[in-house]
Amino acid sequence: MRVFRFLLSLLVTVLVTWQLMIPHAVGDKNLPALGAFFNPFSGFWKNAESSSGFHYTDSGLPGLTGKAQVVYDDLLVPHIFAENMEDAMRVQGYVTAQHRLWQMDIATRKASGRLSEILGERTLAIDRLTRRRGMVFAAENDVAAWQKSPGSMKMLEAYTEGINAWINSLSPADYPIEFKLLGYAPEPWSVLKTALVVENMADNLCSRDDDLSSTNALAMFGKDTFNYLYPEWNPKQRPIIPDTGQWKDWHVALPAETGTGSTGSVDRPSYDNLASAGRRPGAPETDPYVEGSNNWAVAGSRTRSGHPLLANDPHLTLSLPSIWFQIQIHTPEQNCYGVSLQGVPGIIIGFNENIAWGVTNVSHDVSDWYRIQWADNQHTKYTVDGQTRDVQERVEVIGIKGKEARRDTVRYTTWGPVVYDFDPTHPLRDCALRWISHDQPEPDGSTIFMVLNAGKNYQDYRAALANYDCPAQNFVFATRSGDVAITVQGRYPVRAPQQGRFILDGSRESNAWHGFIPADRVPAMKNPSRGFVFSANQHSTPPSYPYYYLGGFEDFRSREIYDRLETMRNATVDSMKAVQLDNFSRRAADGLPAMLALLDRNRLDEDGKKMAVELASWNFRYDATSTAAPLFDVWYDSCYQKTWDEIGQKDAILMPESWRFIDLLGNDTSSIFFDHPATARREYARDIVNESFGLMQAYFHKNPQKRSNWGQFMGFALKHLAQIDAFSRLDVVVGGHRTAPNAMQKTHGPSWRMIVDMGEKVKGYGVYPGGQSGNPGSPFYDNMVDTWAKGNYYDLLLLQSAEEGSSRILGTQTFSPSAK
Amino acid sequence: MRRTLYIILFVFVSGSLCRFGVPWWAIVPLGALAGGLFPLSAGRVFGAAFIGGFLLWLLNALPENNANDGMLSAKVGQLFLGVKGWHLLVVTGILGGILAGLGAMTGLLGRKLYVGSKPKP
Repeated sequence: MRVFRFLLSLLVTVLVTWQLMIPHAVGDKNLPALGAFFNPFSGFWKNAESSSGFHYTDSGLPGLTGKAQVVYDDLLVPHIFAENMEDAMRVQGYVTAQHRLWQMDIATRKASGRLSEILGERTLAIDRLTRRRGMVFAAENDVAAWQKSPGSMKMLEAYTEGINAWINSLSPADYPIEFKLLGYAPEPWSVLKTALVVENMADNLCSRDDDLSSTNALAMFGKDTFNYLYPEWNPKQRPIIPDTGQWKDWHVALPAETGTGSTGSVDRPSYDNLASAGRRPGAPETDPYVEGSNNWAVAGSRTRSGHPLLANDPHLTLSLPSIWFQIQIHTPEQNCYGVSLQGVPGIIIGFNENIAWGVTNVSHDVSDWYRIQWADNQHTKYTVDGQTRDVQERVEVIGIKGKEARRDTVRYTTWGPVVYDFDPTHPLRDCALRWISHDQPEPDGSTIFMVLNAGKNYQDYRAALANYDCPAQNFVFATRSGDVAITVQGRYPVRAPQQGRFILDGSRESNAWHGFIPADRVPAMKNPSRGFVFSANQHSTPPSYPYYYLGGFEDFRSREIYDRLETMRNATVDSMKAVQLDNFSRRAADGLPAMLALLDRNRLDEDGKKMAVELASWNFRYDATSTAAPLFDVWYDSCYQKTWDEIGQKDAILMPESWRFIDLLGNDTSSIFFDHPATARREYARDIVNESFGLMQAYFHKNPQKRSNWGQFMGFALKHLAQIDAFSRLDVVVGGHRTAPNAMQKTHGPSWRMIVDMGEKVKGYGVYPGGQSGNPGSPFYDNMVDTWAKGNYYDLLLLQSAEEGSSRILGTQTFSPSAK
Repeated sequence: MRRTLYIILFVFVSGSLCRFGVPWWAIVPLGALAGGLFPLSAGRVFGAAFIGGFLLWLLNALPENNANDGMLSAKVGQLFLGVKGWHLLVVTGILGGILAGLGAMTGLLGRKLYVGSKPKP
């Protein structure tokens, strides 16, 4: 009996303890191991950061050559004071990891197809595609190139070791809460992981192409209709670099054979079968344009102070923790302030005592698909110009939590990886991806931001940029001495006209890119007489630029920003803010009058008449309080979809751009595309506009809660990176629209608003929707969100020395050299 | 009464070793030790160790929560089926209590396999 009672008690005890040691799933919710998570010694309570006081302790840092200090201000921005650049990078690595370690881990897992190692089989398909698209291959090529520059590698390694010094100092109790929730531990950083962060940005910014949907569209419509629907140049466009005769004497030499049928630019592409097989998951987008950014610099001739003003707001996926981390880096050679990317040394967007710069994405298409001509059934050989070549096989091993790892063999051709051949129904199954990100970059490409951070003048800026290839960026620039400039910096393939717009024949060497646009012919501009430079992801140049390029270019924000800057006199920091926060939409200003002109108001019911009046008096501003904006948005979307019904119902056919659609609404109202193929009647633009107005009314009748204001309608959501609602901010109401300078979308938007006044003493203003700490248990996790949502900015504190007094300083963390 | 107090104190004090890197589940064997050292009826041993474990976990979580103004526990509460932050403090205490209590009871019953002495009423 005693033995039985003992064994029973032992069994219950062991079982209960065991159950608290392992994770559980309740419904679709995955819970962490409760004992590990709730115990107050190493569980989540240890992540509850004190809401007052300064608690960063002094530390020894292996490899440091001198003393380094980190002064924290009241926004928890670290101001690093180091005796040399290598020390500064080491400390930057350390403090970045100190605040954002889990974010760094998950970002590199995503970029390298290693999510399944911690999340299990449910992310396997994502990981597999990441691997097959050559993300790790690309990062490895980056590292191989960087290793050719010992100077750069020294900086990358110091940064890496700084991160690892922080990781090594941690006990499980100190791990960020997400590690505890997901039940895994941080692993050491490496230079390869820095490359993965860079490739992740490239993936976000320059991996888009429309090759398949354009090929299908050309096959479906033929050349004339294709050109009618998808013109490459919008005559209303304001390109980044205008034609001032600077390229009139340039000649672009292309091999004689190029462009003759090789690109599908003849009447039809060679692959009609792609159209029928062409499927793309998801609904057709109204306007395929998503990511984007604004930047500009106004010369002294247009400002009140007589000194330049520079502004930048990159629009990216907004998340908590934020993609950006503010930092100041002071060494004897430089004193720079700005935002950094977790995992990349240096400052990406910022200013120092002499210069300021900012970036927007260059939307050139730098990825092409080549149809492979296989030479055998096993697809181990393929043919180029009649000669057989061997496929290079790369085995990707994908770890899966709780399961055996999967091995996946990817075929690499002379063009690049064959991404989709695992899916026999995929239209790109026999196509290889040629993507600029797979190429080895310039050896010093990894440190261009460090060089820029220490720059003093225009020459330094151009010298730094010379090593920058990918993802291509419009670098806007201003100096205290009065220069303003912009460079469309990147590595761009030289192409024959239309080359790369459609899927290419990979059996012909002549279809390869014809080298790259020489650095001195990359579009750039310095001190134009108009007194400003700007970019908003629009076309880089007008069609007279001698090199053919293609891409997804912006059409509305850029025109509004141009108009605002062009009329600006006596500009101040406040005028810059007003443009960044401008909710005026050119798309609405162009589209709504055309739609209203076709609307038959007499046929509307009372409610419809009220809506029409509201729309007619709208100022085209997507303010959060606007009640007309939701009406327009639904009406416009429905109008667009009804017009392109013959395209939208089929998948993977290119959708016409919004500007072209509005153009047709105003100027070609009897276009055949306004006709519904399914009806016996012939419809015109007027019919579509009235029909979709009815659909809009029906939508709001069915969803009365949606008929509030734009802020409510858009339903902005600032989500935690793991989509944990409790760690997200879902209560923030903002206005803006992707076609307005304040390019807000539900989960995207201005990720860092910065303005720099290049006066006698350079002064910066900035804000991002987040906080410096990545810890949901820190008061600095989301403390800047409300300021950002209100359209306010912080004064950015550019300290001159670690001892400089300021009421905004929280405390100092001192680092001293220590043994490894 | 005194043994009850001893068990509470033993669990609380020895369990505090977990503050210095001893794994959290050490409270189970430590509870067993307490139950073996200070025999009472099974129910009272469980109760006493439960109180010790409850206090240990609660009083170690409480200052973290207070210094943080309950910000994190509110978020984690929302994550766990939408309960309030202070509920989590109670849950934490109960988990500590159950672990210590079960450990202590097993310790007591294990002792009885070897030592026949009757527990004090």
